Amino acid sequence: MSEVILTMKDIDKSFPGVHALDHVNFEVKRGEVHALMGENGAGKSTLMKVLTGIYQKDSGSITYKGKEVEFHNTREAQDAGVVIVHQELNMVGDLTVAQNIFIGREPKKGFRIDDKKMIEDSKKLFRELNIDIDPKEKMHNLTVGKQQMCEIAKAISHKAEVIIFDEPSAALTEKEIADLFVIIRDLREKGLGIVYISHRMDEIKVITDRVTVMRDGGYVGTLVTAESSKEDIINMMVGRVIYEDPKQHSMVAPDAPVVLKVEHLNAGKMVQDVSFELRRGEILGFSGLMGAGRTETARALFGADPKQSGKISVMGKDGQLHEVTINSPQDAVKYGIGYLSEDRRRYGCVVQKSCIENTTLATMEEFTSGLLINSAKEKEVTERYIKELATKTPTADQLVVNLSGGNQQKVVIAKWLTRNSDILIFDEPTRGIDVGAKNEIYKLMNKLAAEGKSIIMISSEMTEVLRMSDRIIIMCEGKVTGNIDISEATQENIMNKATRNID
Amino acid sequence: MTMKKVIALGISTAMVAGMAVTPVFAAEDPTAQFEGLTANEAYEFPMMVKSFQSTYWEAAMKGMEMAAEELGVTFKAQGPNSESDIADQVNMINTAIGTSPAGLGLAACDTSSVLEALQTCADKGIPVVTFDTGVADAPEGSVVAEVCTDNAQAGAVAAENMYAAIKDVIANAEGQVIIGEINQDATALNIQQRGGGFIDKMIELLQADGKTVAVAGNEFYVNAATTADAAEADADVVIQVAVPAQTTVELCSTEAQAILSKENCIAIFGSNQTAAEGVLAANANLNVLGSDAAAGDVIGVGFDAGSIIKAAVQDGTFLGAVTQSPLMMGYYAIYALTAAANGQEVSDVPTDGYWYDATNIEDETIAPNLYD
Amino acid sequence: MTKKKKSILSDQRFIVLLVVIALTAVFSVMSKEFRQYNTLLSLLDFSYYDLLMAIGVTFPLITAGVDLSIGTGMVCYALIGGTLIRSYGCPVIVAMLVCVLLGVLFGAINGSLIGIMNLPPFLATLCTCMITRGIGSLCSATPWPGLTQEGGWFHSIYKLTIGTGRSADRYPIGFLWMVLMVLLMEFVLNHTKFGRYTIAIGSNKEAAALSGINVKFYHVMVYVVCGLFVGLAATAYAAVTPTVQPGTGAGLEMDAIGGVFVGGVAASGGYGSILGTFVGIYVIMLLKTGLPYIGLQANWQQIITGIVLIVAVLIDILKEKKGMQ
Repeated sequence: MSEVILTMKDIDKSFPGVHALDHVNFEVKRGEVHALMGENGAGKSTLMKVLTGIYQKDSGSITYKGKEVEFHNTREAQDAGVVIVHQELNMVGDLTVAQNIFIGREPKKGFRIDDKKMIEDSKKLFRELNIDIDPKEKMHNLTVGKQQMCEIAKAISHKAEVIIFDEPSAALTEKEIADLFVIIRDLREKGLGIVYISHRMDEIKVITDRVTVMRDGGYVGTLVTAESSKEDIINMMVGRVIYEDPKQHSMVAPDAPVVLKVEHLNAGKMVQDVSFELRRGEILGFSGLMGAGRTETARALFGADPKQSGKISVMGKDGQLHEVTINSPQDAVKYGIGYLSEDRRRYGCVVQKSCIENTTLATMEEFTSGLLINSAKEKEVTERYIKELATKTPTADQLVVNLSGGNQQKVVIAKWLTRNSDILIFDEPTRGIDVGAKNEIYKLMNKLAAEGKSIIMISSEMTEVLRMSDRIIIMCEGKVTGNIDISEATQENIMNKATRNID
Repeated sequence: MTMKKVIALGISTAMVAGMAVTPVFAAEDPTAQFEGLTANEAYEFPMMVKSFQSTYWEAAMKGMEMAAEELGVTFKAQGPNSESDIADQVNMINTAIGTSPAGLGLAACDTSSVLEALQTCADKGIPVVTFDTGVADAPEGSVVAEVCTDNAQAGAVAAENMYAAIKDVIANAEGQVIIGEINQDATALNIQQRGGGFIDKMIELLQADGKTVAVAGNEFYVNAATTADAAEADADVVIQVAVPAQTTVELCSTEAQAILSKENCIAIFGSNQTAAEGVLAANANLNVLGSDAAAGDVIGVGFDAGSIIKAAVQDGTFLGAVTQSPLMMGYYAIYALTAAANGQEVSDVPTDGYWYDATNIEDETIAPNLYD
Repeated sequence: MTKKKKSILSDQRFIVLLVVIALTAVFSVMSKEFRQYNTLLSLLDFSYYDLLMAIGVTFPLITAGVDLSIGTGMVCYALIGGTLIRSYGCPVIVAMLVCVLLGVLFGAINGSLIGIMNLPPFLATLCTCMITRGIGSLCSATPWPGLTQEGGWFHSIYKLTIGTGRSADRYPIGFLWMVLMVLLMEFVLNHTKFGRYTIAIGSNKEAAALSGINVKFYHVMVYVVCGLFVGLAATAYAAVTPTVQPGTGAGLEMDAIGGVFVGGVAASGGYGSILGTFVGIYVIMLLKTGLPYIGLQANWQQIITGIVLIVAVLIDILKEKKGMQ
């Protein structure tokens, strides 16, 4: 094959408490599409950020076009010809296509911006790429696909020799993806080096020449795509690590009744025809890659976001399932559903307020007699939960902002327990929480399940999913792609389902 | 009695009984120029009032209605929400000019802000009649006539009547005494003239009796009082002038209170309705105003009318007040505009201001001008 | 991580109280006229409507909103009330009730625009500010009955006058009502569901919604309560202003909102106290009343008030920064 244009060797990078990149190797050749794969948090993005100068490496070397380089910011990388096309497009909607492509380096004519030249240059670029876009069009009038084409054109205009695509197909339609591939192949013909980050196994097989797999910040290996099967790649991604005490079989009683039944739930692009059942005492894991639609499903179910269609049934006091209408969180709370957001600071708790105020926030009625709040009762209940959940706080009056992540989470849990919610949705329950506190949260969840609460647990951590779930729902791109009992679950079959659309 | 009759009576008797009620201004009859006037066309005049805030402007509009009916013309009264909304009024004037009316009646909130608009009027040949407030440096050919109270002399009348009541107190005073003056602003020409007229007359009267006078407080009025002859520290009499930050009764009251609570304050003048009501509001707690200066009462003099001031004059809280004749100003403004629109030369129509107190408040010549 | 014992010196309300005392001392030393009982009477007279407006607007400010219509609204209701008395022979008590009801009505309109239709508070209340100003201008200048006139009894709510004329004794009992009102609303803010939710909305609206709180309803109620106090303020305004003038009122909201900020409401919402508002308003009132006594021209009042406000908000921001660390 042709010459190597970019080599990254022994790249090492640590953040406080995390060894993000552990001596990673990666190379790209001219005229090659090189896939970079790995689970969430495997280190793909970090590696690319080191390459394009967003992060500085701790050690290792980057050789580009035969010379050792170190970019200090994206501008330097751009100028050298290393350009990244982000998943979230960096476009200014109210400016025209041409203005966006030349933003920050507008051609000048005296003091004036030379719009004419800008438009001419844009047209020339689009001709080269065989793209049909009017440079005078406002960016926000274009489809996402077209916007991405503009982003690519912008990259090319930087005289790029290495282009990194970060999940380029995530927001595109089939047709747009096909168009994108035409352009990528064209760029490959022209001798550019292309890095392609994606979770979609099918695409990897179609478009890439080689695959490099990363896991837990380390380099696993590089395969030639044509000579490898999907299974080979997935095996490399999940590795052979023994996760600590995975659950062997479901703890749910065989005759446990269904407490929540969701049928054909649709809410935008991220929630398509989602159906599942939750049984009493069950921990139902929701697995999938970033952007699979799990949080969106939870928010739609909880009434926080609007939904287009779907039937939700909840078990009533009579032990029967009843169809319910949930249009707002108030409705959901009324039916005994509690939601613990992945972003605690933003959605979960009122951080500038005390533990007491947060604990009773969803249950004010129980603490008011007439118009007044019964402060003594508030304090008593809060203190009870602090004890029960082993929340580490000096007093119940402490502001939540002063607690650690794990203890903040416990305060939110206390809020829903006070509410006596039977169905709890934990969205990334241990994100940002240290190991010791994690175990406490796990213990707590198991205890709650044993007491008959039903839990939906959204998690991006494979360990967590395998350790906690009784059953696992796997989602991919807004659809449910798998529903397996814990006894049958393996990392491989979960990853398999998470990277493809439908079995 | 119908309004029309009141007007007719008012106009005729004002001249006849002129001597009896001490008119501020007694020029040769300026109304003669309108004798036998009829409108050549059914003109419609935009009339810019300063606001619809007070009944003062309602009285002016009543006068306009009267004249319009007599002459067979129409008018459209417009004005901003408050007298301090200078920019709003300028906008309204410009809009009105845009329709090229046969003539424009104008009571300017701020005289310097309307100069440009007046220039446009001069260019387009739209005759302007100013009423209530004159525009001193109006561009050539824009303002054809002024229908205004002679504010300087109206202020002087307030000073004359006040001085008569406090003359003895000043003569017998053992130290410095203070006379207060509350002006709602230092920008409108009529308030400037009125406040200045009061100060100048008061200085003149005091100096005639051998007293030294200083003017203190608001810079504009201090600078305008060129006849003051002593420093504030050693003058026999200090005229203390206060102007609030905004034209509200509350702020006028705060200023009045600061002056009234000085022990050596012997008299106070509020130079328009808002300022005079501010003085009264301050007095609500202080209770120092009264009509017996010798007994230690502070002498209060107001300006304009309104039910509060009328009541104060009647019960002796105020020694008296000076009233203008908004009715007459509105009335003659329409006459002057019609004459100008007909193409006739028009000259200024100064309207009279009258001193009124508990003794003459019910008089037929006074009462019609005392709006509620 | 342990909770620090809160020093009283770190409480902005206490600092502001010290400022009130300091200002009083400075003015009293500099002007012997200021030291009079009558000055106090008059300062209190004119403080009631500012304070009532400020108590009301504290609630929207805690939710990180604002109500710009309080000044023009208050004048508008007072004008309508006055017109009812003068032109329609309406009993004063009915006119007062009308003021309060109008306040509640416009509060509900503000609340619906903001809480339900999601208009930005600044914009929504700017609109109602203009509307109330316009409606007010439709009325003519109306004096409410004077103390000695029929219906003048309502003055006694705010200032009890025993005897007549110069020998009369005057007691500012309005201040007593204000203290009670402040204590009541401080209690409401801290010990009722409404107060708790007001703070929760201001601090983290989305978390409040996800906790199942009917955020829309409480958001509307915040403005209704504000309107209620503006209605009360209208009666206090009518009691001290000889003639309520149409078209005025714009600008009055700034004194009230300024006072609330001086009193230590968080500029970004989520924290506030009625006691703070109480002392904050008296800083504004002292500046307004005291500066003329020491011979400063009136414009200085606004300049100095502006500076005081900047300092107060800076203290708040510095405090927040410290809290984050």
